Amino acid sequence: MQIPTFHDAPARLARGLAAWAAGWWRVFHFGATALVMAASPSAYDRATSTLMARQIYFTALQILPGFLLVSALLSYTVIRIVVLGADKYGLAQYALNIAVRVQVLELIPLFVALFVALRSGAAINTEVVLMHIRGDLEALQRAGADPMRHELVPRVVGSAVSVVALTVIAGSMALVLAYVAMYGFSPGGMEDYADAIGAIFDLHVTLGLGLKALFFGLAVAIIPITASLEVPREVRFAPIAVLSGMVRLFLVLMLIEGASLAVKYI
Amino acid sequence: MDELPKRAPEAAEGIKAETTTSAPIRHLQFKVALLLALTLVLSVAFVAYVLYARGVFENEQKLVLVTESSDGVNVGMPVTFRGFSIGRVRSIELGNDATVRIEIAVPKKDARWLRVSNVFIIERTLVGSVTIRAATVQLDNPPLPDGAVCTSQAGSSGAKCTVLRGDATEDIPHLVTNLKDLLHNLQNMTAADSSLGASLANVRTVTERMTGRYGALSAALGGDENAQKVTASIDRANKLLDSLGGVAARLDQTLAKADQRVFGKDGAMDETQKAIQQFNAVLGDVRDSLKKADAVLADAQKIGANARAATDDLATLRSEVEASLRKVSALINEINRKWPFARDTELKLP
Repeated sequence: MQIPTFHDAPARLARGLAAWAAGWWRVFHFGATALVMAASPSAYDRATSTLMARQIYFTALQILPGFLLVSALLSYTVIRIVVLGADKYGLAQYALNIAVRVQVLELIPLFVALFVALRSGAAINTEVVLMHIRGDLEALQRAGADPMRHELVPRVVGSAVSVVALTVIAGSMALVLAYVAMYGFSPGGMEDYADAIGAIFDLHVTLGLGLKALFFGLAVAIIPITASLEVPREVRFAPIAVLSGMVRLFLVLMLIEGASLAVKYI
Repeated sequence: MDELPKRAPEAAEGIKAETTTSAPIRHLQFKVALLLALTLVLSVAFVAYVLYARGVFENEQKLVLVTESSDGVNVGMPVTFRGFSIGRVRSIELGNDATVRIEIAVPKKDARWLRVSNVFIIERTLVGSVTIRAATVQLDNPPLPDGAVCTSQAGSSGAKCTVLRGDATEDIPHLVTNLKDLLHNLQNMTAADSSLGASLANVRTVTERMTGRYGALSAALGGDENAQKVTASIDRANKLLDSLGGVAARLDQTLAKADQRVFGKDGAMDETQKAIQQFNAVLGDVRDSLKKADAVLADAQKIGANARAATDDLATLRSEVEASLRKVSALINEINRKWPFARDTELKLP
């Protein structure tokens, strides 16, 4: 191995930057291609729909009961803390507003994205890097099938749909829990509740929430797959692919969250 | 690639792995369809609820509040009546006449609280946001028409509802201005060339003089020279007082002698006392004489009183004599009539 010297430091830096830029370029390129392919109905046949369904099953359905339980506990705790805190400081009229904004708009989508990233994102990353190293994708191509269409896009679509579904279900549950935490089980707070919800969810916020969940879902599959495909085809690079995929995924999730906050509040 | 095991079917069957290439799943499509349907239903329900909450499905009545400032008023904020939300701010716009028009949408079911003569209060508290509330609703008044315009002057637009602004923070600039004035005055007072500074400088001069040789006297008279004059005067006065003391001593001697002459044995006072005693005796005699005269006078008074009584009797007597005379006269007249000896009827009264 060549010992790095001081003289070639700029060159190494330039190479590193180029590799970093190329990596992100591949992410965007793959993402765009996957989106275009997912949007065209001809990309779906029986095999791809089955694969997509399996992806959704493993990502969303398999974990649904446990996830809902954890999410309900977290939601109720956070909402209760916010409501009690607001009450204590004489801001009871803002309690529901703050609770719903914090929980439904910010925490739940991020929580779902992280949950799915840690579980299915890592699984997809490992699976695809193994397929890549084993040469399964080339084998498919040689057999006349498009690996992108048959193996990768269904995973992307499946995890995006899963993240959106989990966000919708957990968000709805949090909305119900917010009502319960605020007014108990009596129907007396319906009008106030409707007023608060109506005031929070205008067109921008609702669309923003949907887009954020969608981007989270896409990132959870696209980034690990790209990271899997860019390593040399040797087994020892498999952990590196998973590692870089996960780090990059975390970064992207935070970027999406930050961008959404910036658009909403700045 | 030989080191990588292709597949381990006996292990994979037992594990519900996180991979999409494991064993077939029963009712996969159905379960996934169920999840997607649930997601879809929840999304549609949510959107419908939000639209309902934002009043899209409700018939609404419009109300325009015209005011000077839109500070703190946001689109979507509620308009309350007795603490209940009866409407929302739909839009805020700046009119051509530089007034702010706040358009409020009130659902038809809550429009009954909108009456002619309503007062709408846009209120800003020190802490917290702005609230718009309807106050003094008189239910016997006719309802406000759709699209009614309320201004800060009642009746100017014919709608007869009024907008008031109450802003707890409005007084703050006023307060700050006053505080500034106060500080300015204070600054003027404490400035080097201020009258207070001059006074203090004078006080300092005075106290400095007071610590000098002639002390407070110098301070009071405005200089050491004057103080010196005063002390000289005092000295002279002291001398004068000393000589006066001598004069007084001599006067004392004179007085002692006079005392001897006047009050001493056989002095003037002694003689006077004797004369007074004699005078007293004379006065006693005079008093006795006067007592006698007094008795005489009392007797005289008594005589006077009797004389008065006598004169009273005399009057009675006189009247009786007069009566007798009249009777005699009448008798003579009678006799003269009956016996006319003489014609002379004149009667001489005593």
